[in-house]
Amino acid sequence: MRNIIQIKNLNKNFGDIKAVQDLSFCVKEGELFAFLGVNGAGKSTTINIMCGQLSKDSGNIIINGHDLNKTADPIKRELGIVFQSSVLDPALSVYDNLESRAALYGIIGTEFRERLKYLSELFGFAHLSKRAVGKLSGGQRRRIDIARALFHKPKILILDEPTTGLDPQTRKTIWNVIEDLRKNENMTVFLTTHYMEEAAEADYVIIIDNGKISAEGTPLELKNAYTGDYITIYGISEDAIKTLGMDYGKIRDAYRLSVPDTKTATELIIKYPDIFNDYEITKGKMDDVFLAVTGKTLTGGLEK
Amino acid sequence: MRILSVLVKRNVKLFFKDKGMFFTSLITPAILLVLYTTFLSNIYRDSFTAGLPEGLKLPESIADGLVGSQLISSLLAVSCITVAFCSNFLMVQDKANGTIKDLEVSPIKPAVLSISYYAATFISTLVICFTAAGLCLIYVAFTGWYMSFTDVILLFLDILLLVLFGTALSSIINFFLSTQGQISAVGTIISAGYGFICGAYMPISSFSEGLQKAVAFLPGTYGTSLVRNHAMRGVFAEMNTQNIPSEITDKIKDSLDCNLYFFENHVGIPVMYLVLGITTAVLILFYVLLNAVKKRKH
Repeated sequence: MRNIIQIKNLNKNFGDIKAVQDLSFCVKEGELFAFLGVNGAGKSTTINIMCGQLSKDSGNIIINGHDLNKTADPIKRELGIVFQSSVLDPALSVYDNLESRAALYGIIGTEFRERLKYLSELFGFAHLSKRAVGKLSGGQRRRIDIARALFHKPKILILDEPTTGLDPQTRKTIWNVIEDLRKNENMTVFLTTHYMEEAAEADYVIIIDNGKISAEGTPLELKNAYTGDYITIYGISEDAIKTLGMDYGKIRDAYRLSVPDTKTATELIIKYPDIFNDYEITKGKMDDVFLAVTGKTLTGGLEK
Repeated sequence: MRILSVLVKRNVKLFFKDKGMFFTSLITPAILLVLYTTFLSNIYRDSFTAGLPEGLKLPESIADGLVGSQLISSLLAVSCITVAFCSNFLMVQDKANGTIKDLEVSPIKPAVLSISYYAATFISTLVICFTAAGLCLIYVAFTGWYMSFTDVILLFLDILLLVLFGTALSSIINFFLSTQGQISAVGTIISAGYGFICGAYMPISSFSEGLQKAVAFLPGTYGTSLVRNHAMRGVFAEMNTQNIPSEITDKIKDSLDCNLYFFENHVGIPVMYLVLGITTAVLILFYVLLNAVKKRKH
């Protein structure tokens, strides 16, 4: 897979504040890329620079072969952006909103109507086209936001906390559609999120803190590097678990042990086969990775 | 061109759907209407008749015509500017609520966006002001109609020019605004202040000499005078027909700002057109330059 986004030595300061410090990373075509960090870590600054909304102090950005230093317009055609909060016109209908946004990319007339039909069927909002965006529910509005970002068939979809505040059903619907598009149209998805279970599905994850990369890798690599494994053992007595001589936690119908890695877990199982009759080994979660890397947790937009 | 027309359509629709913005733009004309219906019309009627020599009586219909045409000229002159400002606040609202980000992440040229705001403001304001002009003419038809066909055409031309001027002026001022608070502040200042400085609430002739000289530097003053001249020309012609001395007519013309003076020099109607036209052209050019500088900075 080729690199569709290449960022090298990106720097951006706001006065004395170093928002982005020597940031370098690549995103491969067609992958789901998660860009994590607490509020103020530099995520939005990086995205704004990529979109041509903000000038950079130094560094290079190449998107789908186009150098941002030379020209921004072709890059803008490659990007579809879903902002943190909806920026559509609440007073206008869904149709009017999408018509005006599609026109920005030169999509008008029949081409607009055909694309609208396709997207409204895909996201299930055909019946809402005459409704004012301001009168839609949060989930409905988010579907329109994403449809707007996809209208010009971008190669890269940037999702800036797309599912914050949405109900699980709507989140699932949105992710199903995005996954289909990613697989069928080889679209790259650049995601920032506060939901670690969404980040866990990513192909590659970067965690930034204070404008610098703190950790990067696949979710598995990060989990292996920054968290241990958990062994949950069912159907045994507390006396039996005590024979392991390790710290344990009691949960409703089982006991849970924490081990540094899967190898240690395997060794333990081999050593005590009588205890391990009904058990499961689970990797640490992305929340644990994030906490280990940054010393902070992400909870739906709030930093702790 | 079709892309621009879609954007203009969006901006126009947003203005008419935003009831707050729409009604704010009508505050100054509403204040004027209240002032005239409560006491101003009587004050002016008395002032028109008070200056007449003994034995000469101003016919009731002419007095009605004078008051009516003065009211509509003030209303229209003010509306052209205040409506333009409120309509153009959309440009600021787009910045304040973040919509501009959504527009600017697209490959659309910034110049097209700027033109779309200008064109939408011009169209919205023109629709409102032409509609208002139509209603005003119906009102005048009931109170006392003395206008010729040419007067009506010239009145609409004056409105067109004033709307162009108001749109250009508001584009420049709104260019520097970016928050809802600034919208409220500027909206209030324009709504409350423009009626005074253009001579709509009170004729400029009633201001102190220093203030009159200062106001003579403002191009909007000449716009108001143009509207007033064409709205009232017929009434003055009728006064001549009815053998009212020209000194009386001139005195009324002076008192109502139909005659304007720039440091004692009488400013004729062609010069008023020239001042308004050139100012509008300069303002548009300045707006273009502002956008060009912004683009370079970006």
